[in-house]
Amino acid sequence: MRRILTTTAAVTLVACSLSAAAAQEITVAAGNMSSYLDPGRDHSNVGSQFYFNIFDPLIHRDYAKVEPEWLPGLAVAWELVSPTTMELRLREGVRFHNGDVMTADDVVFSVNRMVQATFPPYQVRMRDRLSNIDRAEKVDELTVRIHVEREEPLWETLLNLQQLFIVPEAYVKSLAGDPDAIEDDDYEAMSLAPVGTGPYRVAEFVPGQRIVYERFDDFWGEPAPLERATVRHVPEVASRLTALRTGEADIATNIAPDQLALLEADPEIETVGSNTALFHVVIFNSNHEKLEDPRMRRALSLAIDRELLNETLWLGQAIVPSSHTMAEYGPLYMPELETFYHDPDEARQLLEEVGYDGFEVVYDMHSPSYYTNDTLAAQAIMEMWAAVGINGRIDASPEWTGNDPAMMARTWSNPMYFADPFGSFGVMWAPGGPSESEGRFTTDADYAADWEAFRFGKTVEDRREAYGQLMERIKADPPVLPLWRPYESWAMRQAVSWAPQPGHIPYVLDFRAGAIAIDGTN
Amino acid sequence: MAIHALEVLLRMALTFAVIVTLVFFATRLSGSPIDFIVGEGLTSEDREILIRYYALDRSWWEQYRAFLMGFVDGQFGMSFVERRPVSAIVADRLWPSLQLLLPAIGLTLAVALPLGILAAVYRTSWIGSAIMSVAFLGYAVPNFVLAVFMILVLAYTLDWLPVVGNGTALHFIMPTITLAAGLIAALTRFTRNAMLDVLGQDYMRTARAKGLAEHEVILGHGLRNASITILSVVGLQIAGLAAAGSVVVESIFAWPGIGDLLVRSAMRRDYPVLQFGVLTVALAVLVVNALVDLAYAWADPRLRQAEAA
Repeated sequence: MRRILTTTAAVTLVACSLSAAAAQEITVAAGNMSSYLDPGRDHSNVGSQFYFNIFDPLIHRDYAKVEPEWLPGLAVAWELVSPTTMELRLREGVRFHNGDVMTADDVVFSVNRMVQATFPPYQVRMRDRLSNIDRAEKVDELTVRIHVEREEPLWETLLNLQQLFIVPEAYVKSLAGDPDAIEDDDYEAMSLAPVGTGPYRVAEFVPGQRIVYERFDDFWGEPAPLERATVRHVPEVASRLTALRTGEADIATNIAPDQLALLEADPEIETVGSNTALFHVVIFNSNHEKLEDPRMRRALSLAIDRELLNETLWLGQAIVPSSHTMAEYGPLYMPELETFYHDPDEARQLLEEVGYDGFEVVYDMHSPSYYTNDTLAAQAIMEMWAAVGINGRIDASPEWTGNDPAMMARTWSNPMYFADPFGSFGVMWAPGGPSESEGRFTTDADYAADWEAFRFGKTVEDRREAYGQLMERIKADPPVLPLWRPYESWAMRQAVSWAPQPGHIPYVLDFRAGAIAIDGTN
Repeated sequence: MAIHALEVLLRMALTFAVIVTLVFFATRLSGSPIDFIVGEGLTSEDREILIRYYALDRSWWEQYRAFLMGFVDGQFGMSFVERRPVSAIVADRLWPSLQLLLPAIGLTLAVALPLGILAAVYRTSWIGSAIMSVAFLGYAVPNFVLAVFMILVLAYTLDWLPVVGNGTALHFIMPTITLAAGLIAALTRFTRNAMLDVLGQDYMRTARAKGLAEHEVILGHGLRNASITILSVVGLQIAGLAAAGSVVVESIFAWPGIGDLLVRSAMRRDYPVLQFGVLTVALAVLVVNALVDLAYAWADPRLRQAEAA
C-alpha cells in the first residue's frame, strides 16, 4: 500500500512538474499584495514586487550585477547635448500592451507627469527624488530631450527609476472624464488597469488579492519565459509553505527565519535569501530637550551591540553596517567608514560627561510590529542601555510618532529607493527632507553644503569625499543608527529556478528572460 | 402575521438607522487614518498635500454628509487604499463569504441536529456520553488549531487537499469543517438540552398514548417544541459568522472573504470600507434576526395568535 502511495505521489509530482514546464505557468504565494499598481506614485516594498514585469524604463541596467552597468531600455542611445540636457533616441516599434506604438509623446508625457506633477501623489515623489529634472520635450517622433536644472551626476540612475517607467499617454488620458485631457482620476483608474511595454501584460488585477501576468507577444525584447504567472495573496506563512508542498504554489515569498530549518529538510523545496537593500534603523530626536546634547545620543547609539543582536536574532545572516552604506551604492559604497560602532565604555564616559541623571528614554515602536525581529531587538536594546546605566522604556503604539516633538527614540526603516546613497540616506536625511521637516533633525549651512556636494559632485571622488564628511557629521551628532540589513527568504519548488537579482531595488519579483526558469524550459 | 411581519421590518429599519450613525462615529474613534494612507517619511508640506487630496481634512460633519450621500449614489464612497468604489470592493468579497458560510451552516445543521437528538434520547447510554464527549472536545479546540492541524495532516503531509483560496470543490473541505466544527459542538449541546426539556413533558406522554410511532413522537412533537431554542442558537451562530467570525479561517486559507476585508480595513483605518463593511454585517445580523423572529411565529402558534389578538 505504502509503495502504491509513494509511486502515485512520484507520478503525480512528475506529472505536475511536466505540466508546469509544458505550460510555463507558475503561481506565487505572496505575503503581501498591492492595493493599486502605479509605479509613479508607489515606492513601497509591496508594490516594488510587481512593476518590473509590466513596465520598462528608458535606460535598463544589468540586473544580475551589483555594480551599475547601463543597458539600452526604451531608449537605445543617449548623450548630453549641453551640460543640462540629455538627448535620447527611442527604440523603434515598441508596443504597449494595448497595441499602441510608443512614441516620443508617451515618453514626454510619462516624464512630465512626474517632474511637473499636478497629481498630489506624484508631487511627493517629484520633490523627494526628481526635483532636479525640469522637463522632457519632444524633438521628433523618436527623439526626446530631458532638461535638468543643475548638472546631473546621476542621469542613468534617475532614468532607470521605477517612478520614470513609461506609460501610454492616450490610454491614460482616455480612462476617466475628458478622453483627451489628463485628470487626477485618469491616474487613479490607471492604477487599477496598468498598461506598459514590459514582457508581461496584466491579464487580471484584483487589489489586495491577486495579479495575473500573461506573456506579451509583441514585447520588444527577449520573450518572457513564462506563459502565465499568478501572484496570490496568502497572508499566513504556514499556508504559503503548505501551498508549496501541495503544488498550489511554485514560489512563496516572505519566509520567516524560523521556518528555514524546516524547509531545508525538505528535498522538494529550495530556498534562496538575500540581504534586502533596506536598513532597519533607530532614530533619535535631536531636538528633544533631553537629547539635544549630541553626546547623549552618541551614548544611546554606542551602547547597542548590533553584532550580538545579529548573531542571536538573525543567526548571523543580517548585515550590520559600519556606516550608512550598501554594496549597491556601487562606486559610492564606503565600508571603510566607521560611523557606527559598539563601545559601552565610551557610552558610560559620555553619560558621565553630560551628567545623565537617570531620566527615562522612551523607545517607540509600531504595534503590531511590522519589522521582523523588531520586538525582540527592542527588548534587547533596553537591556543594553541598562548595562551602561540608561533607563529605557519601550512604548508600542499604532501611531507614527516620528513627527511628535515628544518622541525620543523609535524604530523605523530606511529603504534603498534606488541604487545610490541619494536613493537611501540622501532622500531621508536631505536638508529640508522628511526627517528635518518632521522636526527631529536639524541641518545647518555646513551640512547642506556637504549634502549638495555629495548629491551634485562632478566626479565620483568629489561625491565620495562629501559623503564621507556627511557621515562624520552623523557620527558626531547622530540622528539615526542603522541596525542591519534584514535577511529575506523565498522558497520554491525544485523545478523552479529563481533568485532575487542583485541589481534591483528590494523585493522585485523579476520574471523576465534570464531571471527565472522552470525545468525543461530555458 | 402580516402585522407582525411589518413590525419586525419597522424595528429593523429603525435599528439600522441608529447603527449607521453609530458606525460612522465609532470607526472614527479608532484613530487617524493619516499615517496609514499618506505614509511615513514625508515632509510636512507633502503630508499636508496628501491629506487634502484624500480629503482627510474634512470636518466630521462634512464626512458624515458624504457618507450618507454614498447611500444615494450607491458607491458608498471611495476606499482610501484601493481608490475604487467601496461597493465594488465589498461585491468582490460578498460571494466568497457566502460560499463559505452556507456550506458551514448546512453541515452544522446536518450533523448537530441528529447528534443532539440522539444524545438526548440515549442520554443514559454510552451513545449519549460519546456524543457529548466529542462535542465538548470540539468546543474546547480553537478553530485555528483545528485548521493548522488539518493542514499539517491532510495537505502538508498527505497532500490530499489544497489550502489556498476557493478554486475547486476540494478547496471547500477544510475551511468548511474548520468553520463548522465549533458550531456543531455548540449546537449539539443546545439541541440535546432543548430536547431534554421537552422529552419529559406531558404532551410527549400523550403523543405516545395516542399510539404514535416513537420517531413521530420525537421528531413531530419533541423537536417541533425544541425548535424555538434551536432556532435562536442557529440565528446567533449565523449572525456571529457574518460579523467577521470567519476571519481566522479566511486568513489561514487565503479565502478572499469579507472578514479578512474588515480586519484589514480596520488596521489601515480605511473608514469608507470599514464602515460599509460593518453596515453589511449589521444588516446581515438584522436580517437573520428578523428571519428568526418570523420563524418563531411559524414554530409557535401561540406567538401568531398573540399578535392577532
